Amino acid sequence: MKNVTFTLNGKVVTSAVEDHELLLDALRERFALKSVKEACSIGECGACTVLIDDEPHYSCLTLATKVEGHDVKTLEYLGDIDRLHPLQESFIRHGAVQCGYCTPGMLLVAYSLLCKNRNPTEDQIREALSGNLCRCTGYIQIVEAIKDAAPVFQSEG
Amino acid sequence: MFVGRSLEKVDAAAKVAGRAAFAYDLKMEEMLFACIFRSERPHARIGQIDTREAISLPGVVSILSAKDIPGKNLFGAIRKDQPFLADRAVRYRGEPILVVVARNEEVARRACGLIKVSYEEIPPILSPADAASSAFLLHQDGNLLSYRRVRKGDVAKGFSEADVIVEHTYSTHWIDHAFLETEAGIGYLDERGRVAIESSTQNVHYKRAEAARLLGIPEERVRVIQATTGGGFGGKLDVTVEGFLALAVHHLRRPVLMRYTREESFLANTKRHPLHIEYKTGARKDGTLTAVKVNVIGDTGAYASYGETVCLRTAVHATGPYEVPHVYADSRMFYTNNPPSGAMRGFGIPQLAFAHEAQLDEIASSLSLDPLDIRMKNCLKKGSLTATSQALSASAGLLETLKQIEPFWRLRQKKHPGSGFGLGCMYYGIGNTAMPNPAGAQAELAEHGRIILHTGACDIGQGSDTALLQILFDALGMEPRHVILDRGDTASSQDAGSTSASRQTYISGRAVYEAGRKMRQFLEQQGYPEGKDLREIYRVAKGQQPLCFDGFFDPPTTRLDKETGRGIPYATYGFATHMTEVQVEEATGTCRVKKVRASHDVGKGINPALIQGQIHGGISMGIGFALLEEFIPGETASFDSYHLPTSMDMPRIEVMLVEDLEPTGPYGAKGVGEPALIPQAASIVNAIRDAVQVNVYELPCDVERLKILLERKEKR
Amino acid sequence: MLPRFSSLKAKTKKEAVTALAEGEEVTLVAGGTDLLVRMKRGESHHHLIDITSIEELQGVVAEGSRIRIGAATTHSRVSTDPLIRESARSLGEAASGIGSPQIRNMGTIGGNLANASPCAESIAPLLVHDALLTIESAEGERVEALAQFITAPYRTTLTGREMLSLIRIERLEGYREGYRRVAKRAAWAVSRLGIAWAIKEAEDRFLDVRLAVGSCTPRPFRPRSAEALLNGRRREKWLVEEAVKLCLEEIRQISGERPSFIYKLPVIRDLLRTILGGG
Repeated sequence: MKNVTFTLNGKVVTSAVEDHELLLDALRERFALKSVKEACSIGECGACTVLIDDEPHYSCLTLATKVEGHDVKTLEYLGDIDRLHPLQESFIRHGAVQCGYCTPGMLLVAYSLLCKNRNPTEDQIREALSGNLCRCTGYIQIVEAIKDAAPVFQSEG
Repeated sequence: MFVGRSLEKVDAAAKVAGRAAFAYDLKMEEMLFACIFRSERPHARIGQIDTREAISLPGVVSILSAKDIPGKNLFGAIRKDQPFLADRAVRYRGEPILVVVARNEEVARRACGLIKVSYEEIPPILSPADAASSAFLLHQDGNLLSYRRVRKGDVAKGFSEADVIVEHTYSTHWIDHAFLETEAGIGYLDERGRVAIESSTQNVHYKRAEAARLLGIPEERVRVIQATTGGGFGGKLDVTVEGFLALAVHHLRRPVLMRYTREESFLANTKRHPLHIEYKTGARKDGTLTAVKVNVIGDTGAYASYGETVCLRTAVHATGPYEVPHVYADSRMFYTNNPPSGAMRGFGIPQLAFAHEAQLDEIASSLSLDPLDIRMKNCLKKGSLTATSQALSASAGLLETLKQIEPFWRLRQKKHPGSGFGLGCMYYGIGNTAMPNPAGAQAELAEHGRIILHTGACDIGQGSDTALLQILFDALGMEPRHVILDRGDTASSQDAGSTSASRQTYISGRAVYEAGRKMRQFLEQQGYPEGKDLREIYRVAKGQQPLCFDGFFDPPTTRLDKETGRGIPYATYGFATHMTEVQVEEATGTCRVKKVRASHDVGKGINPALIQGQIHGGISMGIGFALLEEFIPGETASFDSYHLPTSMDMPRIEVMLVEDLEPTGPYGAKGVGEPALIPQAASIVNAIRDAVQVNVYELPCDVERLKILLERKEKR
Repeated sequence: MLPRFSSLKAKTKKEAVTALAEGEEVTLVAGGTDLLVRMKRGESHHHLIDITSIEELQGVVAEGSRIRIGAATTHSRVSTDPLIRESARSLGEAASGIGSPQIRNMGTIGGNLANASPCAESIAPLLVHDALLTIESAEGERVEALAQFITAPYRTTLTGREMLSLIRIERLEGYREGYRRVAKRAAWAVSRLGIAWAIKEAEDRFLDVRLAVGSCTPRPFRPRSAEALLNGRRREKWLVEEAVKLCLEEIRQISGERPSFIYKLPVIRDLLRTILGGG
């Protein structure tokens, strides 16, 4: 076991983790962050996406020990039911959520994109999302939601 | 009015906040984990099973086999021919043999890996042709699961009247549902000692019935609750984890969690039937269709699942959405030792549409007719007779969808070399075929003046929760704030049937409407329109009269004649036209879908945003089906070799709706879940033909197959 | 879920190569996108050394006529680096299409090379730029050409005590350069075919033609005979056809006749015609 200290959703935390433990499991089990989903476990679907230093990574292929000293964000960072982030509200407004399983990953990628690019084109949004699979929506309303949220985006969650 | 508005989904806030608990997110005290030991052989007698090493692994609690099943060890959506746990023989690679229960997932799976089974291999039957000729019977009644036929008029006469005849064979491969959330569930004993199962599912009452049969106990002693479900598409209609959970809870009296890995889902889950379609079409030189002869052969795999449904639907829909006077359609599904094929969005019709639309374009081409014109000429309308001789009396808006597409079609322009445009039309019977498939719903006036909608209709992401509530709001003439949804719990909801066959808006919607109208009547009697408060009405009426109002709807259908298929298989149909623009790069065989215009007759759009979402998703699935997806038994393990469309594979999409009201539907609504997908692959194939003059007869037409077709064309 | 193993994060190159020398069966891990998948599928590794915190293994720096790329530089970084955009465009383009955005944030150029998949997309552009690899161990360092480094699919000359630390490529100025992949879908797919090119020409005359073909033969390669035919000659349709033929011949010589060639060779033929024929 090793201790890892890192910033998680805005707060500095420390946890003991196993050497072989995946970030996905550490976040879900040790920090009860159930928004991080597992859907394929080999980095081929994007459902497990988290932000490390505001960049999207697959937590199913990241060792928990890797985040020592880094900044990690999950969907819980963005907002909660009673105080939704404009991005989350935009997803609701645009019908961008069907079954909801890909939604956490999509929102985090959207957040990361808008942090870097305040006015992305549709093509840029599609490219940013190209590492996250969705079987329900065909991506269209997700792209629309992100485009619509861009003007009101602020990166402090 | 709420019907017709794009109301925000009632479950969206929890999902965007990451709060929606899917089955694998659930946790209970003393919870165990179960996983399945599966057959490594496609066809074998089970010899010795050695679990000694596994059972002695620290943390392993129990290993259950067929012998531990107190009730019946057979289930099936239609025909009960599938064991929960294989007993003496296995019929497909991945068939469940044992349930391993341990203190956590790591131990359970490790224990699974320590189990040793000896098999006596039997030569596997791997194709319908083999199945038809083999002396080995996979099931008691033989290797032919189902044979259905539709006969209308006299095809010989029809072909003799034809000026042009086109005949080809089309084939498709296995497709996986690939829902993002794999199969998962939790089982436990509830406060009443019932075996309770909360799972990712498309139905609850059916699962309860199967679990009760498995345990040999009355249905009232079992409870099934739909957990937030991450996609279904037909793959969560059959029993998946529910039986195993029920068995484990029954024996161990503790909560048990299960989930499939992605590899397990690919291995264990039913698939879209690969179909072999022999299609012959005859037409007069003015483009009028005279005759259609179709022979469909399907590989239904090791067990029946929904094979009979696919068999019947393909026979019934054989002509496509056109009026054809002479029809001769046969459909056969064969058992093999391949993975079981079952329900998947469209039940065989996406495959069939690929064939009938390609046929029609070839006919049009040989007669120098425009593909839109030939469709307008032959399309089903009010008053048309379908292939089963049903006269369409209402809500048959295919022509309107063609007319909506028409201005764009007439003005189409190929901007680059490799540009092409294609049309795909479809019709699809809403609800189960030629059989009762009712839904019940209940509106209850409860304490504090709350109104509870009890419905067993499972929302799998398509938005039935929201659509049904909208229907109720309008039926009651009331604001949303009074209404609570109680959904998908056999303890308190009516049986609404499965979320499949695009039926919930139409059938549950109608049941909800009926319940709502009854409650409305009651409320009017109690003085609600005059300003009487709901809380007050409840207080006064409580104990004096029933406060639960039941709605019920079963679409009026008839059985079909066994010999001819004549009858009324569905009370209503969805109709649609898709126009697709592709860009083919001849150098590489790459086909990009650039734009799709989709026009759908939905009867009445309860919630346009939800409908758009279904159509976008259906188009995405259609692109996968046409160009990318192919499950190869024994080879395809996960998403690294099974390609779903990404955001960059998607075209720009315009959705147009036609509202040709369905008199029996709630506010005129029908269904759209499967229609959304059905014409898409067909329109891509026709667009490829337009772009590069290549005929596609096999799907997926991926980058390699298309290049090979292009090379062959060059050589000729 | 991964099987148990012990891991350590190396902070310096010395730490990494010492651990390699002293340990039994030590495995280096950078992005982990290949290794962790293999481990989930049963490959056994007991001691992992994470090298992504080693500063000297990161970054893109100009060094005279060459560019130095740290082996643990991510594909994201390679694809957006201005130096690479300017003087090694085919590498930037190849890197920008590897996997998905997340994979590019995690995966490294060194990992791509050390894994040595026939479909590894960094390889073709690196061959075009005559990449030289620096390989370090407790005993010292050695330099090897990329073409020699990869010996077979998934095999390199790396011993269990060695670490790839640096990739040095030639800067190419005044070349028409690019990378073209062919894959099953528009994003995030293993490349079925990849061609990198850097062509220097003046007034319709080929001065220096560099081509590399990936995902076709067991190792990506440069069709030297085709290049040699074109260098110094005027661009003419028949000459380009000859060069294309030579390239296809070389592929057949390397691999024999493979089932996939019924598709791949015509694609290479058609793409090369476009690339050589004037872009």
